[in-house]
Amino acid sequence: MNTHGAISNRNVKTASSMVEVCSVRLGKALFGVPITHILEIVGKGRPQLVPLAPSFVGGVVHYRGDVLTTVSLRYLLHLPPKDGTQDILVLESSHGCFGLLVDSVGEVLTVAEADHEPNPSTLEEPLRKLFAGAYKLKGSLLVMLDPERLDPIRLESTLATEVHAV
Amino acid sequence: MDELTREFLIESQEGLDRMERCLTELEERPEDAGLIGDIFRSVHTIKGTTGFLGFKRLEKLAHAGENLLGMLREGKLTADEPITTGLLALMDGLRSILKSIETEGTEGDAQDAALIARLEELQAPAQMQVLPAQGRADIHRAASVAEELPQGGLAPFVRDGDRTAEPGRPDPSPSTEARAVDVARANPAQASKPTQAEPDADAAKLRAPGSTSASESTLRVDVTLLNRMMNLVGELVLTRNQVLQATAADPNLTMLSRRLDMVTADLRESVMKARMQPVSNIFSKMPRIVRDLSQTLGRRARLHMEGQETELDKSLLEAIKDPLTHAVRNSLDHGIEPPEVRQAAGKDPEGTLRLRAVQEGSHVVIEVDDDGAGIAVEKVRQKAVDRGLMSAERAAQLGERETLQLVFLPGFSMAAAVTNVSGRGVGMDVVRTNVEKIGGKVEIESRSGKGTTLRMRIPLTLAIIPALIVRSLEQSFALPQAALSELVHVPPEQASALIEWMEGSPLYRLRGKLLPLVFLDRLLTPHSQPQARGEKDNFIAVLNADGRQFGLVVDGLADPEEIVVKPLSAVLKSIGLYSGATVLGNADLALILDPGAIAFKAGVTMSNDEQSRRGVEGESQTESVKSPEYLLVEVADRQAAIPLADVLRIEQMPVSRIEYIGYRPVLNFEGQLLPVEDSGGVLAAVAANPAAQIVVVVCSEGSRQVGIAVSHVLDVAAGGEFFEAGTHARAAGVTLLKSRVTGVVNLGGVPPLPDNQAEAGEWNQCSASMAEVAQ
Repeated sequence: MNTHGAISNRNVKTASSMVEVCSVRLGKALFGVPITHILEIVGKGRPQLVPLAPSFVGGVVHYRGDVLTTVSLRYLLHLPPKDGTQDILVLESSHGCFGLLVDSVGEVLTVAEADHEPNPSTLEEPLRKLFAGAYKLKGSLLVMLDPERLDPIRLESTLATEVHAV
Repeated sequence: MDELTREFLIESQEGLDRMERCLTELEERPEDAGLIGDIFRSVHTIKGTTGFLGFKRLEKLAHAGENLLGMLREGKLTADEPITTGLLALMDGLRSILKSIETEGTEGDAQDAALIARLEELQAPAQMQVLPAQGRADIHRAASVAEELPQGGLAPFVRDGDRTAEPGRPDPSPSTEARAVDVARANPAQASKPTQAEPDADAAKLRAPGSTSASESTLRVDVTLLNRMMNLVGELVLTRNQVLQATAADPNLTMLSRRLDMVTADLRESVMKARMQPVSNIFSKMPRIVRDLSQTLGRRARLHMEGQETELDKSLLEAIKDPLTHAVRNSLDHGIEPPEVRQAAGKDPEGTLRLRAVQEGSHVVIEVDDDGAGIAVEKVRQKAVDRGLMSAERAAQLGERETLQLVFLPGFSMAAAVTNVSGRGVGMDVVRTNVEKIGGKVEIESRSGKGTTLRMRIPLTLAIIPALIVRSLEQSFALPQAALSELVHVPPEQASALIEWMEGSPLYRLRGKLLPLVFLDRLLTPHSQPQARGEKDNFIAVLNADGRQFGLVVDGLADPEEIVVKPLSAVLKSIGLYSGATVLGNADLALILDPGAIAFKAGVTMSNDEQSRRGVEGESQTESVKSPEYLLVEVADRQAAIPLADVLRIEQMPVSRIEYIGYRPVLNFEGQLLPVEDSGGVLAAVAANPAAQIVVVVCSEGSRQVGIAVSHVLDVAAGGEFFEAGTHARAAGVTLLKSRVTGVVNLGGVPPLPDNQAEAGEWNQCSASMAEVAQ
């Protein structure tokens, strides 16, 4: 279940000028995940909490015979935890699979490569490490999430350095 | 690395493994043409293949070895000591080149000239004229074989004319590096045979007809694929459990789900079997180690191996390789004395080292037994004091058996001086740590002047382990049964009285000894406010891990379950408290707790105080091995003892659950009819009050089960034996428990129920055991 290496919008960019992005909702905000990195969407999951795990870990879920570690997007974006079930995006990165907990999964949007812009330099430091730029939609921005950067192993080191910086 | 090279490496390493076995046998039977033939073929195959793979260095070395072997085969030379040593050196040389090919993809640039010269020297008497030509012919033949390779893999080698007698793949022993495993399920008996010393003629007969079928009926399977299969089977088991629960009410589905149940159980067993390998895979490394070590240490030792066909999961086999090697080293270094010492003691100057593997239930027991000097208990005590592991007074209090267990402490060494074989004080510690890591146990037994026995109990498989499901923080955790020794229930109203505190450390008096406690919820949520524990039940799981004993306090207990261990991601593994996760029958996920890690994290250590405490604790365990343990019960006003080994369960219930067949009290116990013995009149005493609680101790007696009605269960204690004054006759029916003479309940004396019911009981039992198998 390993990947095709580092993800990128760049690869997609060369392939065609249009990109398919799965939209996910978190509170009121809309985010996008490149569909090429989504293995499966598991609706209404209730992850089992893991005491003493790093705080970004939203628990573990049972996924096709494996125990999948999930990442809480709410925690990463400093949103309060949500009660009840959340949707789980099963993503693959170069380190393996993991789950991303989001409030709900929306439709697949087709966006034009030309509308992509990198992260603005004013973006806060930790978020800059999580986001992969944004697509300019009509009247709103679709902030892209980079599965590679959301991988628990990467997050552990990213967020650890962040703590040191603070 | 291309497929062909990889196959070559696997094949060659197997060949060298075979060669190693044959070489150690050759020392004993230097004239054995069959053995020489086997060795010759191993080297020849390597040489032949290297020719077209282009490994020049390997080819040159193999060629030199082949020349020597050729002369041995033709009877121009006899395999004397220098020749065997030379051949072992050749094998090591070939191995190191293969290793370099595997890791770096090249043969490396070390020089083999010295080794080749030595091999040539060994051929001294006659010289080679014919052999080089034959070598060329082989290369030529190998090249023609190469053209067939794409379709046939390596099979053509077996087809090759002069090698039809080659034992194909007689031993399912893959090299570990190759990450492949031979599935030689079809004829395990035959597979293990060639590894054992056999009269040559018989061996040849056995091998020849079997060889073709062995290579045709076995195939190489990647271990990762097997792991995946195991994983999927585990998944199927869980799904089945859920299906069974969901369909229990629907009679139409019952037959279908039962069938699913059976097929799943069969499948699970088959996949587990596919991962099993005979212990001969690691035993076969031992003759060489024994040989080399005896030479270094100036010992004479004969190695006996038994039960080589005993099978164990591949990953476990890997895990016990190091402990076993350590144990063998120890036996040679500390156990078996030098020949002159042995002779002086009136023993055979040649020591005997015995390796024995035997399956006992769900465990495999591996014994390393020597007839050496044994362990001098006094010396162990002295060493322990010298090394500052305990005070002299404490050491003096220790009994023989628990003193012996000290050799497992880190930093303990009995060797007078540090040699390069042992004496660094890591050996036995490593043995215990490694064996406990895989859920096994080690014990040592020694008879002074007669020898030492080290016993390792290894579970059959790691992928599925028995565990107790415990509750804490409103979620389930799995606790491996291997570490669990007993459970204590502390009701809420007694919690404050029974759990004592010493400067912030909770303690519990377990049969008079202080047991450090670890609250699981506090351990897992270090920052939250400690809750008052007064309101809820506390269950203390008494755990033994890494030689430490402590009580883990949890909020609740659920059923024991056979759990399928699933690995956690690296991020969660690094927390260090969980060894994996599992899916429970109710589809919930549970984290598997690692008792050793919990002890470490909670700071449970082996302080001096604690060691002595453990020493005392150990004493009762010690006695338990020699003298049986008993369950001390109160029947009416008297005390009685029930042999603990026979006790299956202790059930508390209202007296109204007891029913009567005629005048005989019986109990409907999990669908089985259990005769209840009430010779103490417990039932009669409370008969007037149907709500009164009684305790029924369910025991196994022969093939049946019986219940003993008692008023209370008091304790578990080791019993002492009585000898009738003036005689050596053991007094029957009584035992010495806690310095009191106590009568032992005679389970055999419980009369059976009338015939037809007994049959029904048996039938139930039979179906229950079938259900167990299906589990």
